Amino acid sequence: MAASSSAGCPTPAGANNDIPTYEYVDINTRPFHVGAFERLWKETLKPTYYSFRDAPQETEDEEFAQEMGVSAETIDELKVICSPDTLRCYPENEPPDKNVVPMDPGLRTLRLRKRQQDYKETLLRDFTCRQHLYATELESLAMGKRPADPEDLVPEGEFILSINVVYPVIFERFKHVRPHQTLQVLGSQKLTDLRDAICCVSDLQVSGEFSRSPDMAPEFISKDHYKSATFYLEGTFYNDMRFPECRDLSQTIMEWAKSHDFPTFQTAKMEETTFRDLKIKIGYPYLYCHQGDCEHVVIITDIRMAHRDDCLDHKLFPLLTYKHRVMTRKCAVCHLYISRWITTNDSLAPMDPCMFCELCFRMLHYDAQGNKLGDFLAFPFVDAGAFN
Amino acid sequence: MDYYIEPLKLDCEDLLHRFQETESVRYEVFAAVWRKMDFPSIFYGKMAANEMRAFSRLILTTAYPYFLPPYSFHIRVGGLYLLYGLYNTQLASPKEKIRIALKDWENINKFQEDAMNAQHYDVSYIFRKLISEKAFYFAAMPKHLFFRVKRKTKRPTVCDEFWDRPMRVMDLVTTETLEEIVNVQEHYEKAKQAICGTPGQPDPAINLVSKDLVQRLHSTVVTYHNWLDEAGGKKKERGDADAGEGTSKQSEASQRAERLASIKSKSYGQAVEAVKSRRHRQVEIGSSETGGGQATPRRNKSLKARITKKMTGKVKEEILSGETTTAWRLSIAEQKSKGKTKGKRRFKW
Ligand SMILES: [Zn+2]
Ligand SMILES: [Zn+2]
Repeated sequence: MAASSSAGCPTPAGANNDIPTYEYVDINTRPFHVGAFERLWKETLKPTYYSFRDAPQETEDEEFAQEMGVSAETIDELKVICSPDTLRCYPENEPPDKNVVPMDPGLRTLRLRKRQQDYKETLLRDFTCRQHLYATELESLAMGKRPADPEDLVPEGEFILSINVVYPVIFERFKHVRPHQTLQVLGSQKLTDLRDAICCVSDLQVSGEFSRSPDMAPEFISKDHYKSATFYLEGTFYNDMRFPECRDLSQTIMEWAKSHDFPTFQTAKMEETTFRDLKIKIGYPYLYCHQGDCEHVVIITDIRMAHRDDCLDHKLFPLLTYKHRVMTRKCAVCHLYISRWITTNDSLAPMDPCMFCELCFRMLHYDAQGNKLGDFLAFPFVDAGAFN
Repeated sequence: MDYYIEPLKLDCEDLLHRFQETESVRYEVFAAVWRKMDFPSIFYGKMAANEMRAFSRLILTTAYPYFLPPYSFHIRVGGLYLLYGLYNTQLASPKEKIRIALKDWENINKFQEDAMNAQHYDVSYIFRKLISEKAFYFAAMPKHLFFRVKRKTKRPTVCDEFWDRPMRVMDLVTTETLEEIVNVQEHYEKAKQAICGTPGQPDPAINLVSKDLVQRLHSTVVTYHNWLDEAGGKKKERGDADAGEGTSKQSEASQRAERLASIKSKSYGQAVEAVKSRRHRQVEIGSSETGGGQATPRRNKSLKARITKKMTGKVKEEILSGETTTAWRLSIAEQKSKGKTKGKRRFKW
């Protein structure tokens, strides 16, 4: 999995290895230590640069003047010369319609947009992508959110990591697109915080045949039964060992590696590792494995300092900022509700296998006393879109 | 959204090019160019809120490199003003931030110091203003990385006209490289002697590299340097006459221009020192070639043409082919081309 870093961009001699640089340009970075990187940024910047509060205008101007070694009058002059008003291209009280691309635009970007919009207008239906609208909703929902209790405020200078968790290709329809969810975690959070925030249908899967006792099914949710999980990052397996029944999922791989003359992997405990402790590459695909064999590609896409416009409520992290909307499978009877059951050998069903929502399933297959009618096998079904 | 990258780049370069042609680094001059091009309209047209945000992000990412080396001081000033303009006129709310990568901070800091020392107050002020408005994300890299290995890799381009070319030449031909070449040449001569029949008498037919290679290289660079000084001097004069500055500010303006020139010459200083330290090798060539730098304009032109052709023409070719390695290839270009081609081959999944 790990490509040798010598194949990518050359490392400048004497460079600090904890300053992230490209290994492959626009693709991924070289490995670096997250905590050390954070320290480097914080040492470089004045705390006011990343403070969540605004300094009063006067103090700021004074500081400017001092730093630049000029008089207050010069600052006032600069304020006028450099005012954002100088960027305005229309008379103050006559703003143009910003929804319209101007006629005969000189900018190439606008010519492209105009072509696209002219084309769109020829279409009968407006294909505003629901996927995108939903994504915006999620993103803007948390923006600038402050906690009710000041204790929960994310500290100034905290770092936020963005992590893409790709859905496994266990469903046929995931083969071509790579749907994912994006989560933001704080540098101070543990890997287990992320693990608990990743929602995957296989955690909710119920295995077994329940046609005789459909009410029992919820007690057999996989998440409660198979608690083991592991992250694989830069040669180390981080295993979730919080519960006595957890197993070291990496063991088989470790043994295999040993018997095949592979470089040995390290192991560590997920619950004892914060993101700050990690050495990682940004943009590089890593692994999250749970339920024994449900494997997700995990990519850390960004690390940056928290900004005052971010969600600053510690309790809301890990924060889900993007989620792929999945088409859901509807019930074969009502075509309205999401399927909860799947039946086979079912004399009552129009096809085999057949999907039913909870309501239709019960109405069709059981009498008022809850006795099973006819011959069939029933398996609980969790739709991949159940989380939408 | 990626289809916007190319037109966005061209639009930014168009703006910066016009700014460069004014030969002034004053913000007022930039703002005039900006208004003339109606640049804020780049955000116009019906877009969903998320599209708008993605577009803002993209345009800021596209403009960011112009604020960094290898671009010249002038272009970097334009890059800063451009970021300031885009940040303020974008339609996303809250505003999309400008991402600064840790690896670039040192360069940005140096730039800021240079601007301060040269008393380009508008440059310093705008930078400080962006900081105090919290317009920046202090990030690991200039953009999010998704391990998106594209099938069709686009060749990275660095806009040719915006380079600080003189610096490049000085960077390439330093005392160390000259010494290295001398060493290599000594080896070469020895090797020639070793393989020929009569000892101590190398075969005159083997004559791929002329013996005075180092001297010639040296004197070429010195001549080029002098030519640049002259050209720079002319530019400076014109810069002073820039109508943008009022008469009362005339002296201040020329002071600024001088400071700028001195900043620039700082980067030449190194090479000049290198030249001095090699005085012992300079005996034959010194007076005729470098004496006062009084070469005729016509000759200068041909020299410039020669060097431009040799240097940039070749650099470009190599960036494009991404294969050969040459001592003087720029690290950035090298990184890009290497990363692209090799990265593509390596990662398949
Ligand atoms: Zn899973
Ligand atoms: Zn139904």
